[in-house]
Amino acid sequence: MNDFEPTIIAFVCNWCTYTAADLAGTSRLSYPPNVRLVRVMCTGMVDPQYVLKALLEGADGVLVSGCHPGDCHYINGNFKARRRIKLLKALLPQFGFAPQRLRLTWIGASDGIEFARVMQELVEQVRELGPSEAKMKMVI
Amino acid sequence: MKKKIGKALVVGAGIAGIRSALDLAEIGYGVVLIDKAEHIGGVLSQLDYQFPTNHCGMCRMLPLVERDAGSQFCLRKGLFHENIEILLGTRVTAVAGEPGRFTVSLRTRPTWVDPQRCTGCGACVPVCPVEVPDAFNAGLGRRKAIYLPVPHQVPNAYRIDPAACTRCGACVDACPCGAIALSTAERKDFRILVVDDEPIVRQSLESWLEDEGFAVDTAASAPEALEALEKSEYQLMLSDIKMAGMDGVELLRQAKTACPDLAVVLMTAYATVETAVEAMKIGALDYLVKPFDPETLVPMVMRVHEELLAAKDRQVEVGAIVLAGGTDYFDPRQQAGNPYGYGRLPAVVTSLEFERIVSGSGPTTGRLVRPHDGRPIRKIAWLQCVGSRDIQCGADFCSSICCMYAVKEAMLAREKGAGEVEAAIFYMDMRCFGKPFQRYRDRAEAEGVRFERGRIHSLAPAPGTADPTLRFVALDGTVREETFDLVVLAVGQRPARGAAELAQMVDLPLNPWGFLATSPLSAVRTERPGIVAGGSFAGLRDIGESVIFASAAANEASRVLHGTGGSLAAIEEAATEFRDVSRQPPEVLVAVCTCGDRILSQNDRRQWIDRLERDPVVQETIFIDRVCTAEGWQALADAITARRPNRVLIGACHPYVFTRRLRELGRATRLHPALMDVVDLLGPRMAASGENAEAVSSSGDLPRRLAMAVARLQGTCLPQVEATPVSRQALVVGGGIAGMTAALAIADCGYPVDLVEAGDRLGGNLRWIGHTLDGHDLNALLAEAIARVGKHPKITVHANTRVRGAFGEVGHFYSTLEAADGAAQTLEHGVVVLATGGGEAAASAYGFGSHPAIVTQKGFQEALAEGRFDPAALNTVVMIQCVGSREEPRNFCSRVCCPTTLKQALALKRDNPEATVVVLYRDLMTYGFAETWFTRARRAGVIFVAYRLDDKPKVEVAGPDRPVTVTVTDAVLGRPLTVAADAVVLATGIAPGLPADLAAAYGATLDQDGFLAEAESKWRPVDSLREGVFACGLALGPRNVEESVATAGAAAQRALRILERERLPAAHLTAVVRHSLCARCGRCIEACPYEARRLDEELDRVLVNPAMCQGCGACEAVCPNGAAVLNGLSMPQVFGMLDQALA
Repeated sequence: MNDFEPTIIAFVCNWCTYTAADLAGTSRLSYPPNVRLVRVMCTGMVDPQYVLKALLEGADGVLVSGCHPGDCHYINGNFKARRRIKLLKALLPQFGFAPQRLRLTWIGASDGIEFARVMQELVEQVRELGPSEAKMKMVI
Repeated sequence: MKKKIGKALVVGAGIAGIRSALDLAEIGYGVVLIDKAEHIGGVLSQLDYQFPTNHCGMCRMLPLVERDAGSQFCLRKGLFHENIEILLGTRVTAVAGEPGRFTVSLRTRPTWVDPQRCTGCGACVPVCPVEVPDAFNAGLGRRKAIYLPVPHQVPNAYRIDPAACTRCGACVDACPCGAIALSTAERKDFRILVVDDEPIVRQSLESWLEDEGFAVDTAASAPEALEALEKSEYQLMLSDIKMAGMDGVELLRQAKTACPDLAVVLMTAYATVETAVEAMKIGALDYLVKPFDPETLVPMVMRVHEELLAAKDRQVEVGAIVLAGGTDYFDPRQQAGNPYGYGRLPAVVTSLEFERIVSGSGPTTGRLVRPHDGRPIRKIAWLQCVGSRDIQCGADFCSSICCMYAVKEAMLAREKGAGEVEAAIFYMDMRCFGKPFQRYRDRAEAEGVRFERGRIHSLAPAPGTADPTLRFVALDGTVREETFDLVVLAVGQRPARGAAELAQMVDLPLNPWGFLATSPLSAVRTERPGIVAGGSFAGLRDIGESVIFASAAANEASRVLHGTGGSLAAIEEAATEFRDVSRQPPEVLVAVCTCGDRILSQNDRRQWIDRLERDPVVQETIFIDRVCTAEGWQALADAITARRPNRVLIGACHPYVFTRRLRELGRATRLHPALMDVVDLLGPRMAASGENAEAVSSSGDLPRRLAMAVARLQGTCLPQVEATPVSRQALVVGGGIAGMTAALAIADCGYPVDLVEAGDRLGGNLRWIGHTLDGHDLNALLAEAIARVGKHPKITVHANTRVRGAFGEVGHFYSTLEAADGAAQTLEHGVVVLATGGGEAAASAYGFGSHPAIVTQKGFQEALAEGRFDPAALNTVVMIQCVGSREEPRNFCSRVCCPTTLKQALALKRDNPEATVVVLYRDLMTYGFAETWFTRARRAGVIFVAYRLDDKPKVEVAGPDRPVTVTVTDAVLGRPLTVAADAVVLATGIAPGLPADLAAAYGATLDQDGFLAEAESKWRPVDSLREGVFACGLALGPRNVEESVATAGAAAQRALRILERERLPAAHLTAVVRHSLCARCGRCIEACPYEARRLDEELDRVLVNPAMCQGCGACEAVCPNGAAVLNGLSMPQVFGMLDQALA
C-alpha cells in the first residue's frame, strides 16, 4: 500500500466549482484533506505560471476546474482555459513534470458529489505517480 | 450605493421575483422580497439545466453595474443586495392603501432554528426520528423534519418543518450551538381559561387543548374564574352559559370590564343559542353549541390564536407591489382516471422528477438509474400535454414550456447515457416558438432524439414486469406498442397555489384560465395601479419570457414609485473619511472567532499564532469569542481602533453575512471595508472520512486558509479608478409601439429621451394589424401612445430621421442623426435602445405573385379592408403556415402567424359561416392562452391539415380567372387532398429590420437571422453583450404586441440602471493597466469578453472602462508583461496564496 499523501492545489472558479466544493462540504461528503483550494474568479484567469509555480513549490498535482463549456459566468473564460491547459500539458514534460499531474475539469454548481469524486480520483492518480519531480530534485 | 425613499414589495422570490427585485434595487429603491418557500430561486433551484443551452448561467442576472452592492457568487446559493431585504417562509396577510402608500402585513412562519446561531453542522439530522418526502427532490428522496430546504444555501441554517415535527426535542439536545428552540412556546404562551360547572367538560377540554400545546387552566364557577383572571393573564376564556350562581353572560360582562383584551367564547346548549348570540353583542367572540368534539373546538381555538398572532404581523409601507408568485405544476393524478398510472406505476414519473434524476444533487446523484429499483435507464418516453391543451382537466391553454423542456431532458438523457439511451417524445404539436428553439429541436433530432407525432392510447405495465408499455396511434393510423424503462409525463403549468387567495386579498380578478387578470395589452399592469404582475404569474412563460415580464413589471413599479415621489434621495449618513493607508506597508490584524472553543481550543491557539505570524505582515493574531455577538463585534472594533492595522482579516462562519457589517465596521474604525476580508472557517471542509472538525483544525488546514487569505489581503489596495460620468439621457431608435413604449418608460422616470423614427409617422406595424386575436383594439393603443409621446415634456421626436453613425461607450455615446432634408446633428446620450422593428417577410413560394388570389397575411387583411376580397364571396380559403419559415435559412418560428391565421379564419367564419377554411400547418404554435382560439376555430369548423416539411403543399395556377388549386398529402388519410381555393393566404412570418451597421455602430451584434444577439437569451434577454445597448420589440425577436410592449418596458428598466447614476463606479475587483509595463500589443483587448478595453490612440494607452469590466481576469492571464492587473486578485496575490498553501 502506497502511503504517500500527495498535495493538490485546486484552482476553482468562483461561480461553479467553488459552489460545488461548498456543497460537498455542506453535504458532509468526504474528500481528501490534502487538497488546497485557491478560489479564482474564472478559470480563464489561471495563468500557466500559476500552475508551474504550484508544481515548483511542491504541489504533487494541480486541478483547474470551472463551469461547463457554455456556462461560464464571463461568457467564454473556460474556453480560454481549455486551450491554455491543453498547451501547458504538452509543455509540462519539458519542465520535468508528468503531464498527468495537471487536470482540467468542469464541475457545475450542483455537482458536489462529482467534485468529491474528481478529487479522490486525482489524489489516487497522483499517488500512483509518486511525489512531484520537483520535490525529488530538491532533495538531491 | 444611491438610495431612494421609495420602496417596493416583491411577492415571490423565484427567478422573476429576483429579477424584479434586482431591477428595482439597482436603481436605488428599497425592496422587500418575500417567498412562502424557505428558499429563493423557486422551481429553478430544482432545475440544473435549462434549454436551449442545456446549462445554468443564472448568475448572469446579478448586477453588472455597482457589483459590490450585491453578492457575487452562485445565485443558487443565495442572494444579498444592499437594497433588498429577503424574507423567506413569509406570506402576505393583508394589503391596504393606494399607489405610493400601501400598507402590507407580512407573516413569517417560525423556523424554530435561530439562523444567527445555526452553523449548518447538521448534528440535528441523524437524531430526528421523522422522515417525510423531500420536496426538493420532487418527493423522490426523503428528508427529516429538520432539514436544509436546498442543499447549498447561504446562510445554510437548518429549518424545522412544523407540519412534520413531533416536537420530541431530540434535535434540541443534539445541537451544539443551542440554536434550536422548539417553539410550542408560542402556544404555551397562549393561556386559556375553561369555565364549566361540569368536571367532565373541564377535563376533556383541558386534555384536548393541552395536547395541542396550549396552556390551560380551569375554573368550576364564575367567581372562581374571576379570581383566576385577577391572578394571571389569559388570552382566551371558554365559558359555559348556564352555571349556578353567576351565569356565563354575567361572567362575560365582568370579565370584559376587568380585562378588555380577553377573547371569550361561550359554550351553550341548543336551548340557549339565542342568549349566546345576544352575548356576542356585549363582546363574546363566538359561541360553540354543545355537545361538540375536538374537531370543532380545536380549529376554532387555533383560529383565535392565529388571529391574535396576526396582530403581531409585520407591517411594511411600500409604494408598489410586484406579484411574481410563478406557477405550479399539474399533478397527473388529477387527470380523470389517471390514464398514465402516475403514482401507481413506479416507472412513470413527472418531468420535474426526471430533472431531479439527472441532477448531481438529486436522489441518484445524477446517474441515469430508476429511483425505485436502481436499474439503469436505457429507453425513455416523454408524453407531452399532460394537463395542458386538455379541456377535460380544465386547461384550455398550452403550458408553453413543456415541449422545450422535454427536448432538453431527452438531450440530457442521451448525453448522460453516452448515446446508449433511446429517447422518444410523443407529441401533438412541437411548440418550439422561441427564437433559437426550432434549431434546438432540429439539433436534438439530428442527435438521435425520436419525435413521434401521435396520441397515446393507453399505458399499462408489460406482462410480468413493471415496465410501462405504451399503445399509441401513429400518424398513419396504425396502432403500435412499445415498452420503455421510464415514462416521463411532461406536466403542464397551473396557477400557483395560493394565487387566487392573493388575488382576492389585493382585490384583483382572475382571468378565464385561473391566472391573475392583467390589463389588456399590458400583461404586467392590473386594474389596480401600483400592483403589477411579473414573471409567469399572469400567464404561461419560460424563463427568458418570465425575466422579460419581471423587468417590465419592475419598470411599471418604478414609474409608480417615481410618480408618487419615491425617487427622493434617502437621507444617508455622511460619507466616511477613511484613513489613507495607500503609502503604508501592509499590517494585517487577524481576528479569529473561537465560537466558544468550537472552532479551536485554548491549546491550539499558540500553534495558530505561530503559523500565522510566520508571515511578517501579520501585526497580531487575536481571538474573540463569538464575534457575531454585540460584545464580540465591539471587541473587534476596539482592537482595530487600538492597534490601527491597515488590513483586517476575520476568521468566522457565514462570511456573506458580514458584508453589511464590514461597512459599519469601516465607518466605526475609518478603515475602508475593502481592506477587510472574512474567511469562512466552517466552509468547504476537507475532512477525510471519519475525521472530525478538531482533527482538521489541528492538521493545520484552517490556519493555512487564514494564511492564504493574509497573502491575498496584503496585496489588496483600494482601486484608483475614476468613476465613469454618465450623460443622463437616452436615445431610442425606432418609433413603433416598442420604441414609443420604451421612450415613455424612460421619460416617465424623469430622464430625457430622443426618439428617432425613419418614417414620417410613428406607429410601425400597429398601423395595419388592427386588433389582436383576443379582440383588443390596437388602434386605441397606438393612438394613446402617440398622444402621450407627443405631449411628454421629456421626449423629443425626430421623424424622417436616421442614425448615420455612432461611437462611444456606456455612459457617453455620440450619435449623428440625419434628417431626410440632410440636416445633421450629434447627440450625446448614456444609453441606446434599438427598437427598429421588423415586418412581414416577403413571400417567394406557392406561386405568390402569379395570381391575385395568392396573398400574404398582411395582404389578405388589406384586401379585405379595401374590398378587393368580399368575405361573402370567399367560399374556400386555404391558409398555409410556415411559408419559408422554420426551415433554413429562416429557421425560426415567428410566433405571430398561427394566431393571426386563427384570427383571420375566425373572422371569415363569422362573416361567412358557409365558407370552408382549410389551414395547412406543420405544428400549430398557439402557445399560452391562444390555444383557446385554436379550440374555438376547430369548433367553428375550420379544417386543420398537418403537412410535412418533406412533402409541402403544391399550389397550381391555371389562369387568372380560375380558382387556385392546392394539393396536400393528408397524413391521416395517407392520400392527396385537392382544394380549389378562392384565396390562398401565406403565413410568411417576420423579418427583422435592424440594419447590421446600426447595431455595429453601437458595438452590438446580430444573430444569424438578423435579430439582435442578446447577451444571454434567458438571463439577459433584452441586453446586448455591450453594456448600455438594449433592444426591444421585433428588433430583438419575433413577438406579438403584448410581448413587444413588455420587452420595451424591460429594456427601459435595464437602461435606467445606467441613467440613475451620475457616475458609474468601479467595483472593487476591476482590471487596471500599468501603463509603464504595457507594450500596447492589444492581446488584452481581444481577450476581454465585455469589450471593456480599448486602445486610445491619442493617449497611446490601453484604457479600461471600469463600468464595463466585470473583473474576470482574462486580461491578466494573457498579458505578457504583467501590465494587465486584476485589482484584488493580481499575480503577486495568487503567488502569495500559493506560497502559503504549500508552506
